[in-house]
Amino acid sequence: MRFADKVGMAWNSLLKRKLRTMLTILGVMIGVASIVTMMALGEGLNRQSLEMIEEYGGLRTVEVREGNAQSVQSAEGDGASGASDPTAYKLSESTMEKISHLDHVESVYPTLEFQAVIVSGAYHMTLYSGQAVPIEVLRGMNWEFEEGEWPKEGDELKYVFGNLVISDFADSRDNIVYWNTGKTVDIDMMNAKMFTIFDVDAYEALHSKNNKQGTDTGNTDNQTGSAASGTGGTGETQTASPPSAPKKYLVPTAGVLKGGLDDYNQYSWNTYCDLEAIRKMFKKVFKNKPIPGQPVKKNGKPYPELFYSKLSVIVDEIDNVDEVQKAIGDLGYQASSNSEWIAQAREQSQSQQAMLGGIGAVSLLVAAIGIANTMMMSIYERTKEIGVMKVLGCGLYDIQQMFLAEAAMIGAGGGITGLLLSFIVCIIINKVTGALTAVIPLWMYFASVVFAIIVSMLAGYAPSKRAMSLSALEAIRNN
Amino acid sequence: MGESVISAKSVYKIFKLGEERVIALNGVSLDVGKGEFVAIVGTSGSGKSTFLNMLAGLDRPTRGEVIIAGTHIERLSEGELVKFRQKHVGFIFQAYDLLPQLDAIENVALPLSFRGVSKSVRTKEAVKLLKQMGLEKYMKHRPTEMSGGQQQRVGIARALVVKPEIIFADEPTGNLDTKTTIEVLHILQDVVHKEGNTLVMVTHDNKLAGYADRRVHILDGEIVFED
Repeated sequence: MRFADKVGMAWNSLLKRKLRTMLTILGVMIGVASIVTMMALGEGLNRQSLEMIEEYGGLRTVEVREGNAQSVQSAEGDGASGASDPTAYKLSESTMEKISHLDHVESVYPTLEFQAVIVSGAYHMTLYSGQAVPIEVLRGMNWEFEEGEWPKEGDELKYVFGNLVISDFADSRDNIVYWNTGKTVDIDMMNAKMFTIFDVDAYEALHSKNNKQGTDTGNTDNQTGSAASGTGGTGETQTASPPSAPKKYLVPTAGVLKGGLDDYNQYSWNTYCDLEAIRKMFKKVFKNKPIPGQPVKKNGKPYPELFYSKLSVIVDEIDNVDEVQKAIGDLGYQASSNSEWIAQAREQSQSQQAMLGGIGAVSLLVAAIGIANTMMMSIYERTKEIGVMKVLGCGLYDIQQMFLAEAAMIGAGGGITGLLLSFIVCIIINKVTGALTAVIPLWMYFASVVFAIIVSMLAGYAPSKRAMSLSALEAIRNN
Repeated sequence: MGESVISAKSVYKIFKLGEERVIALNGVSLDVGKGEFVAIVGTSGSGKSTFLNMLAGLDRPTRGEVIIAGTHIERLSEGELVKFRQKHVGFIFQAYDLLPQLDAIENVALPLSFRGVSKSVRTKEAVKLLKQMGLEKYMKHRPTEMSGGQQQRVGIARALVVKPEIIFADEPTGNLDTKTTIEVLHILQDVVHKEGNTLVMVTHDNKLAGYADRRVHILDGEIVFED
């Protein structure tokens, strides 16, 4: 018997019992719709948690910091310093090279964290975590700006401030900051003249001196004067060995990242600049003196190269993050990522999805029983018809397949309409909640219909088997 | 009489009803020649229907041989019996047993579809036979839109469509009035005498059996006489 003929026969017998067919399809439709909707809710939750992780710093990024300083030190202490290079676990160009050759590593970029003091008019702030990153990497980030934009490649040193950096400024007269008053200082971050002191140690020495004097005399203007003008500490005369006033440099602002004082993301507190530009600046500022924060040789001389504070390793796929993290750890560096968090979030959302899907599956199970019941009834009703077909030479498997085709059509009908229904329900849910709460994953469109067909055919299998094994003789006698 | 198309040799059929054994057929032997119209006559419970089922390959004998068109059907499996029926046998039922969801053409064409014949070919065959049965006007009618006589003519066309070597008819006129009964029997006679088919008909009515070439009388599972 031809396939088309079997399908045609199945179609005919479904049409003959329209109401019953419709009701059975309705059952499958509701079952499929509830599964798909529940899964979509689970998927929505999943995406939301991943988005949250993304906000707190990439899903595919492994952060590398220098290897355990203790182990390096102890190696030195053992007198084996000749064999063990104290810079072995520092982050250098060659480290970057090494890591970029690991499997699954897409790219690596360095970050140099630096400290500085920024002074503008009557206000000052300590920049604890200036982030110097190659400008082409920064320009590649799709961060939104409140004002301005990234510096261009080859530009002189320019800052990009996070939206919350302004609240770090303190009034130099009374040291009152945003956190005391709830008011930000009156600085135009974009256009104010801001001077940067890179030699923080020198500044601190001077500052604490002035501070002492300030508290002694109650003259805060002194302090302001020294910080703002840098023309030489006013307290110099009172000290035996006066710290020389560190030089200050005018650094323009290239931009401010988007966000108000209530918006927080991982960039909000940072100040960014181009790595090359700061490298040049450091050369100018420190010449061949050691740069604060950088390691020095035993004789106190700086190394010729600049060691990075952090390497950011971009992994090709989320699933490989763990592997790369471990490989870097094995090299002796400290590697961290959000992978544990991601794994946890995933596990959680998976179990949520499974639970939600399970709730939906109950209704599909009920629908499947409905199909089996409908088919059974229809076989009892058509016992004679089946017998006649057998007598007329219809193959046993043809009969079975006709019934399976009926079940499959019910499944397909219910699957497609159920998908449409859940689509509408998801749109309504998203409208009501005002967010992407329910997301039907792409594979669901295909899988739900196939799943409905398979479930229906499984439900129709036992009845079809029964139809097949009906005795033709008894069937035709059944008047 | 030419070579026999049907040959039954001491066929027994024993049913078990609980502990009791019911002998439905008690060593029946019968030969039917090609192109013969044979009536098997007997009262209800005589075993005539059981015998027909054996001859048609619907059921297997408990003991004995049934050879139809050279095939020992008692040795065939269920699946092989289906294939055998597709090839050699046409069937006419007492209650016509047309499929209600199909129209006349589709009903007649049905056995051909079981054989995998394409739709255009089987429709052509069905139309030809329906015309032969005088049902030109009822081609597109469903069974419920036709009289009993018309339905049975569709049933006969359905039996003929596979060009079977043997046609079996189980009380083909049992549900018809006298006038239609005679009509149908004439058609059956024509089928045998003009087309050269072999026809085995079961009936309880001796008068109807008179249309056959040969009558075999069965009583209590045994052939009592032939004429």
